[in-house]
Amino acid sequence: MKRNRRTLFRKFFLNLSAFLGFFILFVFIVVAIFAPFIAPPKPNKNPYLMPIVTWNGNPEAPSPEHRFGIAGKRDIFYGVIWGTRTAFQVGIIVTFVSTFIGLVVGSIAGYFGKLFDEILMRVTDVFLAIPFLVAAMVFTTILGTGLDKVMIAMTVFSWMYPARLIRGNILQVKEEQYITAARSLGVSHFFIILRHVLPNSIFPVLIQASMRMGSLVITAASLNFLGIGAPQGYADWGALLNYSRNWMLGGNGEALKYWYMTVFPGTAMVLFVLSWNLVGDALRDFFDPRLRI
Amino acid sequence: MIFYIIRRFLFLPIILLGISLIIFVLFSRLSEYQRLATYINNPERLKSTDLDKLIELYGLRDPAIIQYGRWLKNVFSGNLGWSYVGKEPVYNAILRRFPFSVELTIFSVIPIILLGTWFGVLSAIHHNRPLDHTLRIFSVVGWSFPDFVFGLFILMIFYSSLNWFPPGNLSIWASDILKTSLFRSYTGMLTIDSLLNRRLDIFFDALRHLIGPVITLTYVELAFILRITRSSMLEVLQKDYIRTARAKGLSEKVVINKHAKRNAMIPVATVSGQTVLGLLSGTVIVETIFNRTGLGSFMALAAQQLDYASIMGGTLFFGFILIIGNLIVDVSYAVIDPRVRLE
Amino acid sequence: MNKPSLLLDVKDLRVFFYNDNKEELHAVDGVTFQVYCGETVALVGESGCGKSVTSLALLRLIDSNGRITGGEITFAGINLLHLSKKQMQGIRGKDISMIFQEPSTALNPVFTIGDQIMETIILHQHVNQKEARDIAEGMLKIAGIPDPGKRLLEYPHELSGGMKQRAMIAMALSCRPKLLIADEPTTSLDVTIQAQILELIRDLQQKLNMAVILITHDLGIVADMANRIIVMYAGKIVEEGNRQDIFKDPSHPYTIGLLRSIPRLDIHQEKLSSIPGMVPDPVHFPSGCRFRNRCPLADPLCQQEPSSALISDHHFVYCHHWKRKAELQAESFTNE
Ligand SMILES: Nc1ncnc2c1ncn2[C@@H]1O[C@H](COP(=O)(O)OP(=O)(O)OP(=O)(O)O)[C@@H](O)[C@H]1O
Ligand SMILES: [Mg+2]
Repeated sequence: MKRNRRTLFRKFFLNLSAFLGFFILFVFIVVAIFAPFIAPPKPNKNPYLMPIVTWNGNPEAPSPEHRFGIAGKRDIFYGVIWGTRTAFQVGIIVTFVSTFIGLVVGSIAGYFGKLFDEILMRVTDVFLAIPFLVAAMVFTTILGTGLDKVMIAMTVFSWMYPARLIRGNILQVKEEQYITAARSLGVSHFFIILRHVLPNSIFPVLIQASMRMGSLVITAASLNFLGIGAPQGYADWGALLNYSRNWMLGGNGEALKYWYMTVFPGTAMVLFVLSWNLVGDALRDFFDPRLRI
Repeated sequence: MIFYIIRRFLFLPIILLGISLIIFVLFSRLSEYQRLATYINNPERLKSTDLDKLIELYGLRDPAIIQYGRWLKNVFSGNLGWSYVGKEPVYNAILRRFPFSVELTIFSVIPIILLGTWFGVLSAIHHNRPLDHTLRIFSVVGWSFPDFVFGLFILMIFYSSLNWFPPGNLSIWASDILKTSLFRSYTGMLTIDSLLNRRLDIFFDALRHLIGPVITLTYVELAFILRITRSSMLEVLQKDYIRTARAKGLSEKVVINKHAKRNAMIPVATVSGQTVLGLLSGTVIVETIFNRTGLGSFMALAAQQLDYASIMGGTLFFGFILIIGNLIVDVSYAVIDPRVRLE
Repeated sequence: MNKPSLLLDVKDLRVFFYNDNKEELHAVDGVTFQVYCGETVALVGESGCGKSVTSLALLRLIDSNGRITGGEITFAGINLLHLSKKQMQGIRGKDISMIFQEPSTALNPVFTIGDQIMETIILHQHVNQKEARDIAEGMLKIAGIPDPGKRLLEYPHELSGGMKQRAMIAMALSCRPKLLIADEPTTSLDVTIQAQILELIRDLQQKLNMAVILITHDLGIVADMANRIIVMYAGKIVEEGNRQDIFKDPSHPYTIGLLRSIPRLDIHQEKLSSIPGMVPDPVHFPSGCRFRNRCPLADPLCQQEPSSALISDHHFVYCHHWKRKAELQAESFTNE
């Protein structure tokens, strides 16, 4: 029957895309954990700095020795592998810290309401007014380069999203509380709200965080791509892609001669972000079918 | 609604002040020498050996609040300092480049809104059928593409291989004509100016240079509008008034295009401001990759070369534009939804 | 008095829905009834018994997760189920119109009342904007809306609930349909407005000589408005007859239970609580008589499908034991 086929197809698709998301993510996690074995760093060197493997500035095509080729005197394979760690670091730390700040600010605004709320929400507006990437650029130019600076910059300009979410949830619960008049029972208002808000907010916050993960990693890579984030030679996909910019035209009549400089780090980047987006989608479908978008 | 709009307008200066304050606080971390450039409009003076005297003159060691006031005054009189990257006052540099970014944004917003809503509606109508899934995959992949990665791929294919869409704003022959006195600049946007100058050849040349960046921005930003349209359309299609419309005997086409779409567009309109916001920051990357002149590439260059005056001015400008843009979106949103108009 | 002519003839109509688990839900399962020109037929029954689905099926407006799987719907001699989409659209809103329970959600919030009424008129009557406007204005006036010229330019949210329902009625009747389906047209309105709206429907029915299928929970309204009554239970018709037949001589145990609950209905309740037990799960209806798990007269015979028994002219009942209905006088339903 036609209808049955359709439901089956849908279920399969939903599961497939969720599975794909988790699977890709899992592969990246494995790669990040085993990076020292997959691409062993030089002893006594910071493994996050891609070692210089040649003195010739020209890119070199993939070879058994350098599986993904060489860009900017550095091994692309090494950069892609260790770049996985960089991506996780940036994404997880920034998401974690900014979500925490957001929760605190959002709770204060939502719980105390009135003037607090007004002020905090205007502050959020101000922070939201500056484009994320531009804000991060400003920050890194002032603080100086370095991945830590990039992360600080992104944290400062991304706490507003969870803050708004949690505030909205608290306001909603508060409204319901007035209706059910649970307050009159003498139970502390604060705990009622906490008890109602937390379970209702955990998953939206999680879903939002996993969706935000992608854009955070993209922004960090963008800064590195522009050369204003991590220092020269830092193992990062954006930084690797930066090397390819000067070789876009190809050479010797071969337009796509240096394809590997773009394709390997680019694909890693896209798959990484894609996996988080798919996971976010899956979480949302699972926990909040209303929001199935 | 009127009250809401009035309130928004009352808060406007406060938010603008807030933005300027953040930026000022950030930049006050720099040394006096570095900040000097953000006050002085004349490069000759910066070359003078006695910088300390200038610092004294501009009161860069005064209490922060006084400095802030002075800087604000400067900002309002259009003095944002000297742009090292642009080799001209920051104010002029921004105003000269901004039209290019606006042009790129406009040319991208159109396909994003058109395609995004079209695909979104299609997706909703074909809910959970193959077309819906295809569009979802298409959009989630686009959503996952960093603009610089997709831009690089586009360059590789359409420029390096096929040589269809070259980088830059214009071909050399065209920019040579632009420099002559025969070509008058009206808006600063190449497509419009070339039409006003009746130079179709330049118009098409400008268009050709726009295609690559527009494709990039469109694909990368499309998903957002598509998703919002899809979900809001799905919701609207469940509504009683859709059943009423069908019960009237309207064709499915009219039901969708008139009754459903208009309602489904309300949430889309509210987020279109965010899309423009995303696009404007997208110009930073896309203009850089496609080697275009514009406010975005200007900012990137300034950041790379630590040209503080330009960064400060550019950020301030971006912030102001976005705030005002969002306000316009909110107000125009009232036009679509009659319920909001009266509240 | 000459015999009124047959307008709508529904035979063995079946509408099934399918859920995510691929289960079939037999929302309407073999429903047969007729509607004659100019009469009012009331469709009554507990929530979920398939009244709305039946009426939507008449317009072929079943949601996409459901399908009309069998039967015939003959309207004015045409089998609607054989019409093309296009032809069906020509019937909707022109020959058969519908008004719904909730006027505030049934009108499109972003178009003016005038827009929405004129749209129907232009579609079916092939008139220009100006003429459509005049017709719409006239219709609003007939529907008892003061200052219709001004109301045409207003949006739904600017009208009160009663006004909105009047506008809905004006819209539904603007093309002078032969059949009006009113699905709980007054449920969401307060009592005085309810009476006005019903009065309006009856008034217009006479003026336009149209038939009305009135769906409601409120047996008071039924007693007031209906010529004939169809009682539905769990997707099937259990009894059908003239108003006097049903009210004076109810023969199906379910109808009898339903009528006992009348006094309680002035406080408007969704569920008729005087009948013990619950409507069975629509995915797993019992075989045979679907009422048997709640029926005081049930016995093993009820596991077989009851056929229709003709009690008197136009009075049918689908029950094996309708002749034992007298026992129900002693046996009380209200023994919860
Ligand atoms: N779109 C749908 N999808 C699945 N099931 C549906 C759908 N529409 C109706 N049903 C089911 O069909 C059955 C009959 O529903 P219907 O709306 O006709 O009841 P009703 O008699 O109008 O009740 P009420 O008095 O509450 O309006 C119910 O069990 C309902 O759950
Ligand atoms: Mg109903």
